[in-house]
Amino acid sequence: MSDTAPESDTIVSVQGLHVSYGRVQAVRDISFDVPAGAVVTLVGANGAGKTTVLNAVAGLVKPRAGTVLYRGRDVTRWPAHKLVAAGMVLVPEGRQILGTLTVAENLQLGGWRRRKASAAAIDEMYERFPVLAERRNLRAGSLSGGEQQMLAIARAMVARPQVILMDEPSMGLAPKMVDEIFGVIETVRSSGVTVVLVEQNARRALRAADTGYVLETGTLAHSGPAARLLKDPRVVQAYLGVE
Amino acid sequence: MLQQLANGLFAGSIYALFAIGFTLVFGILRHLNLAHAAIFTTGGFLSVDLISRQGLPIWLAFPLVMLAGGLIGLLLERIAFRPLAGRPDEHFAGLISSVAFGGMLIALVQARYGTEQQSISSEAFPNEVYTVAGVSISLAQLTTLGLALVLMLGLAWVVAATPLGRAMRAVAENARAARVLGINVERVTASTYALSSALGAMAGMLMVLNVGQGDLGMGLAIELTGFAVIILGGMGSLWGAMAAGLILGLAEALTIHHIGSSWKDVVAFGLLFAILLVRPQGLFGTIKAREV
Amino acid sequence: MFAGYESLITTMALTGILAFSFHVVLMAGQLSLGQAGFASLGAYISTLVVPETPLFGGLSPVLVGIPVGMAVGATAAFVLGLPVMRLRGVFLAIATIAFAEVVRILMLNAEWTNGARGLRLERWVTPELAWFVLAILVYAFWRLGPSRIGRAFAAVREDEVAASSMGVDVARTRMTSFVASGAIAGLYGVLFAYFVRRIGPSDFGFSMMLDGLVVAVVGGFLVFFGPLLGSAFITMVPEVQRAAGLEAGWIHPFVTGALLLVVILLLPGGLSSIAGYLHGRLRRSPPPAPSTGPRAGNEPPELPELPAADTPVLTLNGVGKDYGGVHAVHDVDLELRAGEILGVIGPNGAGKTTLVNMISGHVAPTSGDGHVLGRKLGAAGGAHRVARAGVSRTFQHSKLFDRLSVLENTLVGTHLVSKPTFVRRLLWLPSARRDENRAVSQARRQVQRVGLADREHVPAAQLSYGDQRRLEIARALASHPSLLILDEPAAGMNRVEAAELSELIRSLAADGVTIMLIEHNVHMVLDTCTRVVVLNFGEVIASGPPQVVASDPQVIEAYLGSDETGREHV
Repeated sequence: MSDTAPESDTIVSVQGLHVSYGRVQAVRDISFDVPAGAVVTLVGANGAGKTTVLNAVAGLVKPRAGTVLYRGRDVTRWPAHKLVAAGMVLVPEGRQILGTLTVAENLQLGGWRRRKASAAAIDEMYERFPVLAERRNLRAGSLSGGEQQMLAIARAMVARPQVILMDEPSMGLAPKMVDEIFGVIETVRSSGVTVVLVEQNARRALRAADTGYVLETGTLAHSGPAARLLKDPRVVQAYLGVE
Repeated sequence: MLQQLANGLFAGSIYALFAIGFTLVFGILRHLNLAHAAIFTTGGFLSVDLISRQGLPIWLAFPLVMLAGGLIGLLLERIAFRPLAGRPDEHFAGLISSVAFGGMLIALVQARYGTEQQSISSEAFPNEVYTVAGVSISLAQLTTLGLALVLMLGLAWVVAATPLGRAMRAVAENARAARVLGINVERVTASTYALSSALGAMAGMLMVLNVGQGDLGMGLAIELTGFAVIILGGMGSLWGAMAAGLILGLAEALTIHHIGSSWKDVVAFGLLFAILLVRPQGLFGTIKAREV
Repeated sequence: MFAGYESLITTMALTGILAFSFHVVLMAGQLSLGQAGFASLGAYISTLVVPETPLFGGLSPVLVGIPVGMAVGATAAFVLGLPVMRLRGVFLAIATIAFAEVVRILMLNAEWTNGARGLRLERWVTPELAWFVLAILVYAFWRLGPSRIGRAFAAVREDEVAASSMGVDVARTRMTSFVASGAIAGLYGVLFAYFVRRIGPSDFGFSMMLDGLVVAVVGGFLVFFGPLLGSAFITMVPEVQRAAGLEAGWIHPFVTGALLLVVILLLPGGLSSIAGYLHGRLRRSPPPAPSTGPRAGNEPPELPELPAADTPVLTLNGVGKDYGGVHAVHDVDLELRAGEILGVIGPNGAGKTTLVNMISGHVAPTSGDGHVLGRKLGAAGGAHRVARAGVSRTFQHSKLFDRLSVLENTLVGTHLVSKPTFVRRLLWLPSARRDENRAVSQARRQVQRVGLADREHVPAAQLSYGDQRRLEIARALASHPSLLILDEPAAGMNRVEAAELSELIRSLAADGVTIMLIEHNVHMVLDTCTRVVVLNFGEVIASGPPQVVASDPQVIEAYLGSDETGREHV
């Protein structure tokens, strides 16, 4: 199955990705590899195209050119629901929890594809996030921002993914909550799930990641081991434009 | 008086069954499906055909009519709504394309059955009449009420408690989030149309059983009543449609009794109007009325 | 010359007139479907009050009936509109359908209408009359399109929020289209009554509504001759079928339905989009090119003086906005003086856009108070009043009028500095041409200012992202604002484009426009602004000259995330 993979341990490989909205080119020629079990982060200022890349990988937008390989298979034109079934799940920007449904129903929807197995997975999530267990019968919209983000991640984990794509999980959260979310990301990773993380909070993201890619206005500006990027003044420049 | 109320209740259960399918599609997909009335008519004619011409027993005709309705619903979604997805004028266009589909459907019904009224043979259904407290109730009426209630409760159960229902509610709230969760939004959309249309066709069958005949104009009359029901109950609210259908049936019966039959529709539309202005989310609407 | 076809030809014209009563509301984006009710009222009341025999020896009843019917239809629409114009989308559609049904039932039960038996009338409508009336409508709609009110219709249809921030009074514009629809429907009712010779209440029912809607949409409601095409199509289909020998009762409605489906699925703009395609540029006759010499009417309109430098433009005292307990903006104090370029930066979710929405009147503050150009924040009246006071803005998520060209978008922006022209355009008064030219030259100047002069006839949806942002600025400038608020104008621009934008902003400030720039591109903000305010979690965390703010450790932290884990914000 994985005989066409560029590297045996590469689980997601993006090659020459171009995405346009109408005539507007949002992403130009982006390539990167995600090793299985790693945390890879895409950082960059607002409008740099990070979310677009993630949406293209998750099958929500169709790229104009380029390929996305998942476990060696070309999944570029796959619809989102098929990718979820194959084990690649997106935690979208702004969380997108279903506010009028209960916490429990949100989690059940995460296991929509495998109804039988999901009960166990949901119990596991309640164990890992006791706050969700407490509120399981409340409408998800009544949770705080941080709890909603936990729900969104837990909901994705119910599908027992191999790769989880996270879009700005710390957005709009208070610093304390941000810490907690990054703790969650750490446990996700330690359970063997590969994480692709898109973040504006570059320092935190690079600290949590193995490899980092810096996006600037739709193109790849820098890449390398996260620890090195963390010290690279050019990264700061990509954000603030000052040294 | 009591007799009138009983009749109102039976009519109301058909209104409710018709409207619940109508409102289901609106609630989940925000489409106003103007072909629903044509499916209702088709269901009515089909049941006359199956029962009177083919001689099928009535209990066999029920599932067949529902099945046919469901298939037409799939076709409707495929032909008239799916190609419009994502277009900026999706809303106007969906109204027109569903009108077009409905017109074609009625034309096909006309091709097979002509423009004459179709009566259901009197021996098709045991013509028993019970008298309870001075109110005479026919077996057909009882069956109508019972079936309508069972089907509506069944739908409510599907939406509230099954995986498909959860997926439908997810799509209703946020189609994008639903897609992210791995829900096949296209399939849920098609299922919604199938369910809605199966109920619409069934409502047509019950109408024919109740009045003994079907005609090509039967859809038009109930379409307008259906608007009143879904507004009264709250656009997209299933329980609302159920309650509002029954209320409207009763209100009509009372109007006929006290004022005269020619005014019954004024009550329906007057009520609709008042509700829209005072409480656009409907009497029972819990879903916030979204502007489309 | 119409021998044998009088009826068909008249029907075609009448159907076109009915379709115009739908066209005018669809043009303004309103799904209003009560036209059959207006037509019914118009027909019945005019036949009631107009004598059956020619007046003054020769004036046929229909000619007297037309103004009566139009007045009745318009009045009914106005009275109905007062309550129902609050509704939108399908809710408006169903309310208006219900109105038409109530009218039908009332007419059915009234004595003077003769109930279901209907009224008998003489036929006074000739094919010539019907086509004459239709021609007048086509003419009027042709003149309407490029007039100020026509542009307001299009703006409301494309985006109400953007329209209101151009100073278009959305409620009034919607009502205008609604009343016009009532008048045309009343007109149709009268013509219909004097054509079919026998009217009953059920003639004005659901199917009349469907006919009108279908013809209007099939013809296309973006172009003035849409109803004409739609009517020709719908009227001719049965004729063609008859000629082809397809006469079985069901074939006609089936083929009509199928054709309708094909048109709606394959031609989003209706039949007129084919015509538009064939005619190419002829469709939108471009306004006259600016002449080189100074000629009357080619100079921009007289524009009011901008506030003198250093007078206060905006003052906020402890302004805040809560969304259900969440502080989107909290206790913000701010003063902005004429001539300044104020940069507002802060991470995602910091409350920048909420702040802008409060200033532009789209959102009312929940605490504190403030004034912008003499208007109190949150005062009643809506965003168009704030625009009238001199505030103009762009939107973070571009709210261009997608189907309109660059120049047309910008012309909507001139709403506040131009004069109504529709009535004068109908009469071809030179002053209308002059005013239109002034508006065009004001718009064109802005288009040139942002560097889009070579693309002025391109629809907004087809522009590149950077050009769309530029067009938004041009459109906002067209109203000659005292305060221009730019919400993330450089998002998605590369360095070169951002530098050009920065230069443009500074030149605007040099012209006396006060600017508030909300931006993520910090580099550009530092380059452009005279003063910078940093928001985080809805509060101002730093404020001052650009260089001071940029080296503030709190600011760097807000942008890049905290250095230490668990460190709390102050």
